[in-house]
Amino acid sequence: MKFRKLLTVPLAIGFMSLPLTAMAHTPLFSCFDNADGTIYCEGGFSDGSTAAGVPVIVKNGKGEEIQRLVLSRTSDIEFEKPKGNYSVLFDGGEGHRIEIPGSQIFE
Amino acid sequence: MKKGFILAGLITLFSAASALAHFQMIYTPQSALERGGELDMRLIFTHPFDGDHTMDMGPVEEFYVIHQRGEDGDATKTDLREYLSEISWKSHDNEGKAYAAKIPSRVMRSMGDYVFVLVPSPYLEGDDEYIKQYTKMIMNVGGVPGNWHEPVGLPVEIVPLDKPYANWTGGVFRGVVMANGEPVPHAELEIEYLNYEPDLRRNAFKKRPGIRKAPHPAFESMEIRANASGEFTIGLPKAGWWGIAAPDLIETEYKDIDMVKEAVLWIQVTDIK
Repeated sequence: MKFRKLLTVPLAIGFMSLPLTAMAHTPLFSCFDNADGTIYCEGGFSDGSTAAGVPVIVKNGKGEEIQRLVLSRTSDIEFEKPKGNYSVLFDGGEGHRIEIPGSQIFE
Repeated sequence: MKKGFILAGLITLFSAASALAHFQMIYTPQSALERGGELDMRLIFTHPFDGDHTMDMGPVEEFYVIHQRGEDGDATKTDLREYLSEISWKSHDNEGKAYAAKIPSRVMRSMGDYVFVLVPSPYLEGDDEYIKQYTKMIMNVGGVPGNWHEPVGLPVEIVPLDKPYANWTGGVFRGVVMANGEPVPHAELEIEYLNYEPDLRRNAFKKRPGIRKAPHPAFESMEIRANASGEFTIGLPKAGWWGIAAPDLIETEYKDIDMVKEAVLWIQVTDIK
């Protein structure tokens, strides 16, 4: 019984640390104005893991969703530049979201 | 007769001292960039610790960058020779032929690692030996790592085991010395601090040194040995650029004269603030 208790504690610590370890990487996101009416965005993580399939949401100046996209196999995407104010959200889930205002997207 | 011996001895001593401190440089002020953009670089063949004699570089055989975003990202190679222009680099006691490289933002725009590779033409040292230093300098944009730890496939190279662009002062840096794709057991290594900051506007070393005085010549170009697996570890006591050279890895011939192939890697160290 005592042995089982001893075994349970390290196992529990091990399982608790798994999601923490998995979350230790930082999301990274970057967008550029292609100067041809399109915007290019690319995502990634600080541990080098892929961001393929991560949703990217384009919002208008009021914060309303105007386009929902997904990063490609190469963790990037291109879309038409919205008219007026806009922002682009990398939605990697809780604690992994990055929003870039259009005013900070340059050539 | 005696005078002849003394002269020969002095020449030998001078040659040995010079050979210890030759470093091909690929320089830019900052290797870890938050955002990409246009990049200003210098390719200089010089003595980084004392900032003295700069050697004339010949034509550049290869100058390219391999970019990779993410561990599983696609690696793309870009030839950079079209962005080179010849300059004269001013050291403290002479001027030497070198190159400026203005890399356009379209090359350095994406996040990820950028492995810069320079293969200079062989440099004739004296009359009896050519030196060819295969040089790497690794940058990152945006924090997404990629191929910083991958061998490029050069005949000789130093492969990093730590990110060359993310080193705190007081930390250590590790690497592996390779020749013909294999680690070189007990390889000789020379480590030098870039003691005079390059002034890219003037194409010259600044006058104020980072380290005012080395207590002994052994501290200027520090010689160490790799272990039996070709791996080495160095301490990083001061912020700035450090050059790591592995001399004499492959001995061959060029134009009927002996030639040695050497590997150089530049790493940058940053203070904790």
